[in-house]
Amino acid sequence: MKEKPVIITRDLKKTYHDGGVPVEAVRGIDFTLERGEFTAIIGPSGSGKTTFLNLVAGLDSPSEGEVELSGRLISSMSGKELAAWRRDHIGFVFQAYNLFPVLTVEENVEYVMLLQGVGARERHERVMRILEEVELADMADRLPSRLSGGQQQRVAVARAMVSEPDLIIADEPTANLDSTTGGALLDTMKRLNEETGMTFLFSTHDEVVMERAHRLAVIRDGRLDSGGQGK
Amino acid sequence: MLRRMIVISWRAILKNRRRTVITSTAIGIGLASLLFTDALFAGLINFMVNTATETWMGHAQIHGDGFRETGRIALTINDPAGVMDKLEGDTLVRGFTGRLIAPATLESSMELRPITLTGVDHTTDPDVTSLSASIAEGGYLTGDSTELIIGEKLAEDMELQLGDIAVLTAAAADGGFSSSLFIVVGICSFNSEKLDRYSAFVNMEAAEDMLALDGEYHEIAVLFADPQAAEDHGERFRRVYGVEGNTAEIWPVLQPQIHSMVQMVDVSVTVMAAILFGLVLFGIVNSLFMSVYERMYEFGVMKALGTRTAVISGLILLEAFWLGLTAIVIGSVIGWAVVSYFGAAGLSFGEMEFTGLALNRPIYPVFEAGRIWIYPLITLVFTTLAGVYPGVHAGRLNPSEAIRRSL
Repeated sequence: MKEKPVIITRDLKKTYHDGGVPVEAVRGIDFTLERGEFTAIIGPSGSGKTTFLNLVAGLDSPSEGEVELSGRLISSMSGKELAAWRRDHIGFVFQAYNLFPVLTVEENVEYVMLLQGVGARERHERVMRILEEVELADMADRLPSRLSGGQQQRVAVARAMVSEPDLIIADEPTANLDSTTGGALLDTMKRLNEETGMTFLFSTHDEVVMERAHRLAVIRDGRLDSGGQGK
Repeated sequence: MLRRMIVISWRAILKNRRRTVITSTAIGIGLASLLFTDALFAGLINFMVNTATETWMGHAQIHGDGFRETGRIALTINDPAGVMDKLEGDTLVRGFTGRLIAPATLESSMELRPITLTGVDHTTDPDVTSLSASIAEGGYLTGDSTELIIGEKLAEDMELQLGDIAVLTAAAADGGFSSSLFIVVGICSFNSEKLDRYSAFVNMEAAEDMLALDGEYHEIAVLFADPQAAEDHGERFRRVYGVEGNTAEIWPVLQPQIHSMVQMVDVSVTVMAAILFGLVLFGIVNSLFMSVYERMYEFGVMKALGTRTAVISGLILLEAFWLGLTAIVIGSVIGWAVVSYFGAAGLSFGEMEFTGLALNRPIYPVFEAGRIWIYPLITLVFTTLAGVYPGVHAGRLNPSEAIRRSL
């Protein structure tokens, strides 16, 4: 039996009010993401990529339409339910790394598991395992400020993956990295995708990402131009 | 989770070291000022109460009923021997002395002045009042019936000097008038208008003869071993000694203006504390808001990862708590150092007069054990409470908005 898609959006719309002026950032997107995909949303700046990802991730609520994540309709969840849902089902990689500067690499990576109430020993084992996967096990005690940009983003990837969520959302993860470092990071993510079967959804206009994606979905002016359906 | 929150909040405080030091030091200096002010006022109150009580009045007094209100010389203490026996056996009492008090005139070769004649028991008086210690010229009473001590202002007004003769005239209890010659043996200086300008002190026997009151007293002044006993055991004192035609009162009733002053000082310190804590509140709120805005992405990411609103708010409260704790350490150390220094060296106010009392001796700031912990505790509570508003604000941040704005 075919597995349910990780994401289904139906006629998804988002309108902002910027100084009283309505801005239609997302204008009715139907999109499906199957389990295990490594897909990139591409499009010019201001096309609505990040807004779309925020809606899919439950960081923002849609003005109209629905978002279904792993069979649950998240667009109708309360803020508290959404927080718990994000914690258990979604991993995030942000453009600016966004690690907690006062926590060590190990503490950063285990943060979500701490929220989930995972025991200390299991946390440590899982953190060390994923840090080995991203080749940072020997830097577990370091603070983020003592890591390079590429290393910090690998820590962010480890943090996103360690709790084995249904979906990892990466918003322009290579934007602050040079092409070599960005390529290496994407290779790591691709390898982890292939090894674990975890689903990745990127927003990007970096060729490094596009080259490695299974599928490219193009958003222009808040509408999906192409690539809306999964494999 | 709580442990991690404690770690995150403490490290955040350490990470923003400059802001932590500036904010904590500012609050700490405020706290130190408050501790010093409180200690100074405590010293001032001690000075005022000691001056008012141990100079002459005592911590409490016993009179015959109606004497305080009318001053009639016939209203003496009922069964003074029995009262003194009771005082003798009272563990609260450090010392007591009986007096005769009557309106009189003092006449020198130059002047005639109305004064208050006070018959003093020269054997017990030095244990209770500072009359003997206030002699500026000459000596104290020895028991001779012609000895007279007057205040320095009265001596100045009447141009009297040591060895001069003066005549005291008073109405006696038997209805007659009595005049006697006295020799000025001492000139005293209490730094009190009432005692220095309007009082004359003679031996008890001389006063008894003039007033025709043998073995009687108008007033017994009592000193307690612990000055606080006047307030703590005032009711008991009234109950035990205010019986059988006698009235017993403690100094706050006898000197209500001093007592009011003590209360006013308490109110002043409370108002100052309220102002200071208000400033602390705004200072901390400002500092924490700066911190929240600087770390908006951090809170945005926390929320995105599924951290509950209460946890984020709690984190800010903890940061406020650490700031407060750091501030009270700084403030307590500075406050203790300043109070210790002035507590030993004293603080001189020159010749200033305060509520009729001359502050001609240094005031020694003193920490009151019952209060010293209150200000640091309130500082900590206020500082932590100051984190509520920024905490709620941080907890309510929209994650996507917070992350976007931090880029």
